[in-house]
Amino acid sequence: MSLNRDRADTAFTFKGGMLPMTVMELASGDPERIRAQLTGKISQAPAFFQHTPVVLSVEQVDEPHLALERICAVCRAHKLLPVAVRGGSDPVKQSAWALGLGWFPPQENRPRAVEPRVVEPEEPAEAALPAGTVETMPGGRIHRGTVRSGQQVSAPEGDLVVIGAVNPGAEVLAAGNVHVYGPLRGRALAGIHGNREAGIFCHDLHAELLSIAGTYKRLEDIDPRMLGCSVQVQLKEDQLRISALT
Amino acid sequence: MAKIIVVTSGKGGVGKTTSAAAIATGLALRGNKTVVIDFDVGLRNLDLIMGCERRVVYDLVNVIQGEAGLKQALIRDKRTENLHILPASQTRDKEALTLEGVEKVLADLAGEFDYIICDSPAGIERGAQLALYFADEAVVVTNPEVSSVRDSDRILGLLSSKSRRAEQGQDPIKEHLLITRYNPNRVDDGDMLNLEDIREILAIDLVGLIPESEAVLRASNQGVPVIHDDKSDAGQAYADTVSRLMGEDVPLRFQLVQKKGLIARMFGGGNRR
Repeated sequence: MSLNRDRADTAFTFKGGMLPMTVMELASGDPERIRAQLTGKISQAPAFFQHTPVVLSVEQVDEPHLALERICAVCRAHKLLPVAVRGGSDPVKQSAWALGLGWFPPQENRPRAVEPRVVEPEEPAEAALPAGTVETMPGGRIHRGTVRSGQQVSAPEGDLVVIGAVNPGAEVLAAGNVHVYGPLRGRALAGIHGNREAGIFCHDLHAELLSIAGTYKRLEDIDPRMLGCSVQVQLKEDQLRISALT
Repeated sequence: MAKIIVVTSGKGGVGKTTSAAAIATGLALRGNKTVVIDFDVGLRNLDLIMGCERRVVYDLVNVIQGEAGLKQALIRDKRTENLHILPASQTRDKEALTLEGVEKVLADLAGEFDYIICDSPAGIERGAQLALYFADEAVVVTNPEVSSVRDSDRILGLLSSKSRRAEQGQDPIKEHLLITRYNPNRVDDGDMLNLEDIREILAIDLVGLIPESEAVLRASNQGVPVIHDDKSDAGQAYADTVSRLMGEDVPLRFQLVQKKGLIARMFGGGNRR
């Protein structure tokens, strides 16, 4: 029973969060070149190198094997703390894990069509497999009723459909699209694992925050003419586009 | 079997204790055996509003910790038959309450009373959660302002997830909205949220609307629940609320700006002062 969990025996709680994170986009896998450049940078901006956590993005490095351990050592010697690796081949992923680092899938799928994606109901799995097509989203979720302040409803593997209102202070999240059939007054985050094709659809937009794949807009940034309207939100050219659903 | 009603809000200072005292008194005046419990351990107030602060010997924490019997701690109300008060402790804190202890107290009271009113502390921590955990119904007290509405929304979330009924998969707690300190003039001026805005966000049934009234403060300071002041608008509004809680259909009043005409003064619904 949740009431019995008082502070004394709750060792932790899980919370979702979006933290600003420095991504170190590597153009080369050569530790010596990285060292040389870091040494130059440290003299320009010593304040930056204070055990700053960084994500090493190796998406642009076209090598199946990287001297990841040495690259990390170079970073640490310059007071940068690699916490995770993004992209790279399978061996790179394995060695990241072996070094105790996290691994993120590559961010890139930008060159694909910017057309709003039509969500097909239950595509057969093999149809979704060919390279470059949209992944299937099993594990979607339908929530019926008001999502109240302080509540969080998430669909970690697919689309989230809310039939009801999302009130101020509430949060709805999905790996895929977020649909709200009711007023959206809280926060809505779509594509939480980085799916840039995900969208947010709602009646009556009053959202505190809209986010797709980590790119967000606050209520303050939303065009006031869109407030109260039925809208769709898409990520286009690294910007959230809000357009009316007619 | 007694019906357990929690009076709660999340936000402090919105009128939980005033409402709990008025509702408990109103239910007792209608012939229901009623007990009102102060769950605000450490910030005991209900005894003052009920005017029995000089008669407190034992309290809820004493009963839970086995230092006193329930009969010793219950205070019989002097004005109203059928009404008892179980005060909170002023010297302890909310950590002194245990789930098992509260469950036992409520079970013992349930055998004897028709209604058990739980006056919740503010906040969403342990004290507030214990006050609502065993409830069958909830009266969510809300002021016409955005922070109060948001906190009420939060409490409604807890009612539907952190209560015994929710955890055991029983019928959900019946939720009622009680709007207090409503001032139709200030609503018209745009200073206060209006009734419809509040209902739209909270999306639960309205059980009562209590107008902002000087009678409330006077009643609090005199230690007489405002429902006894049946000449006052607030007293009448609480009486309506009690009727609705008992399942009667009573039309809403006091939500419109009071007309100042002679006829309205003679026949209008209640005295503003």
